[in-house]
Amino acid sequence: MTGPVLSLRGVSKSFSQGGLLDRLRRRDNRLVALHDVSLDVMRGDVVGIVGESGSGKSTLAGLAVGLAQPTSGEVLLDGQSITELMRDHAGPWRRRVQMVFQDSSSALNPRKSVARCLGETLALRGVPKPQRESEIVDLLTLVGLGREIGPRLPHELSGGQRQRIGLARALAMKPEVLIADEPVSALDVSLQAQVINLLSRLTRELGLTLLFISHDLALVRTLCSRIVVMRKGAIVEQGPCLDVLDRPQHPYTQALIAAVPKGLAGRRTPLPVRADVATPKTREDIHGAA
Amino acid sequence: MSPALLSVEGLRVGFRSADGGVVEAVRGVDFCVAPGEAVGIVGESGSGKSLSMLAVMRLLGAPARVTGGRVVFDGEDLLAADEKRMRALRGRDIAMVFQDPQSSLNPALTIGRQITDVVRAHRGVSTGEARRIAAESLERVGIRDAGRRLASYPHEFSGGMRQRALIAMAIACRPRLLIADEPTTALDVTVQAQIVDLIAELRRELGLAVVFISHNLQLVAEIVDRVVVMYGGKVVEDGPVEAIERAPRHPYTSLLKACVPSLSGPVGPLTAIEGAPPRLGRLPAGCPFSPRCPDAIEPCASQMPALVTEAGHRTACWRPR
Repeated sequence: MTGPVLSLRGVSKSFSQGGLLDRLRRRDNRLVALHDVSLDVMRGDVVGIVGESGSGKSTLAGLAVGLAQPTSGEVLLDGQSITELMRDHAGPWRRRVQMVFQDSSSALNPRKSVARCLGETLALRGVPKPQRESEIVDLLTLVGLGREIGPRLPHELSGGQRQRIGLARALAMKPEVLIADEPVSALDVSLQAQVINLLSRLTRELGLTLLFISHDLALVRTLCSRIVVMRKGAIVEQGPCLDVLDRPQHPYTQALIAAVPKGLAGRRTPLPVRADVATPKTREDIHGAA
Repeated sequence: MSPALLSVEGLRVGFRSADGGVVEAVRGVDFCVAPGEAVGIVGESGSGKSLSMLAVMRLLGAPARVTGGRVVFDGEDLLAADEKRMRALRGRDIAMVFQDPQSSLNPALTIGRQITDVVRAHRGVSTGEARRIAAESLERVGIRDAGRRLASYPHEFSGGMRQRALIAMAIACRPRLLIADEPTTALDVTVQAQIVDLIAELRRELGLAVVFISHNLQLVAEIVDRVVVMYGGKVVEDGPVEAIERAPRHPYTSLLKACVPSLSGPVGPLTAIEGAPPRLGRLPAGCPFSPRCPDAIEPCASQMPALVTEAGHRTACWRPR
């Protein structure tokens, strides 16, 4: 039995608030974004991390990918501490853990073509120049795009295409762990499904471990095998995705589930009287018999 | 049929393009809102939903402008009204709430000042009376300790409270129509649910007509009577909420419902709509959805189908489902 590929051991992260003056006055107003979080992610797991703004889910993503260092506690990749791995210019770590960001338009350099962006990433992985071109085409195919996309600049792509390029760039490193921070929340609904289906296929085919950070419980239910519910910097509930969503134990998980829009089933107001019957005119009519 | 409070007829909005031509983003939109009725306008970015309502409010900024059609509010043609008349109507008879509550408020003025300004401009009351009305409105939208909260600045409010404050400002003059443009998109889900409930409640109690613009059909279906679905600057379907939810006729509406997963039922690959939303200026001559439509047949790409009404349900499709 192998251990977890990624684990967080008692991780806390705080940020100092306020400006220089506050610091000179030694005012202690630190914002605790994560408080004593422990989490084990097994190889091949697809873990959904849900919570509202301020829950610490994006902070957790930043720590897992090595963009920030924990204030206390440890982040481990295959049992090795991030701090030790970082000493080697963070190279190996960065290669093994990759990230896809929420806003694909600011995550890509607007002046570099798709081919150049992917080519530079491949160069970082040490792919020799002659092989890069064919690898770029392979990467584009992998994310469902054609080679004609190569010469285009980010602004010439649709939001869905840009997000696929963000994904292709992450995959160019052949990572073991992929962290996707709200990868579809900036996309139109009709494009969300395409990207979710793509992520689902890629995790299966490439045996990727995925941390999917989202506020959308229904998307997490579709994609993930495990779910971690966060609130105010702490994990309040975690477990197999369907178990937690069908039988939530923590009141906060229950509140999140109750808040998901449910269409007609979620109506708290009676359905309108059909226009061909009568149109409500008075306040009493609008109130209904209730 | 009851006379409409708001009637939008053949509305067109265009942008002047770089080559001197005009690119149309709203291409002949018709719909009505009855007094006290709640209508949802659903569509993706670029569908023209927000532009249509900005045109109704005469708030379009250059380079966008109305290139055709009529907007009739309570018998008055708003597109023919002068700016002075529009200023009198906006905020008093028609109020609008926007997506980002942060940028809709002046950060340098207290919440109380911003609401009393609106009240005084429209109702000609004393400062004291305006403050009383402002406090009453804040209380009405569920802000506790409203009298004291009037002295707060926007940064002292959370996102949800700011949106409540903007709704308070919108209802302070008892408008007959409230236009809410993605009012919950910038908010967390739990706060979103509260704001949607608040709008539904205000509508019932004040007899407000509501136009709720959203990209989320499931959210809209919780509070509106009727749904207007827009795609590529056109209305593709418009019907009672139950019909749209249970038996949508336009393939786009039906796919839009299918591609959003729910919290119940079997888990499997999502139904995806292939392709991408159309770009302005590159729209097909026919149905704007035809390039992505699995049901498309010969005339779809070349001829725009008319909106056909059947039992109060309008659909623009050559092959309705």
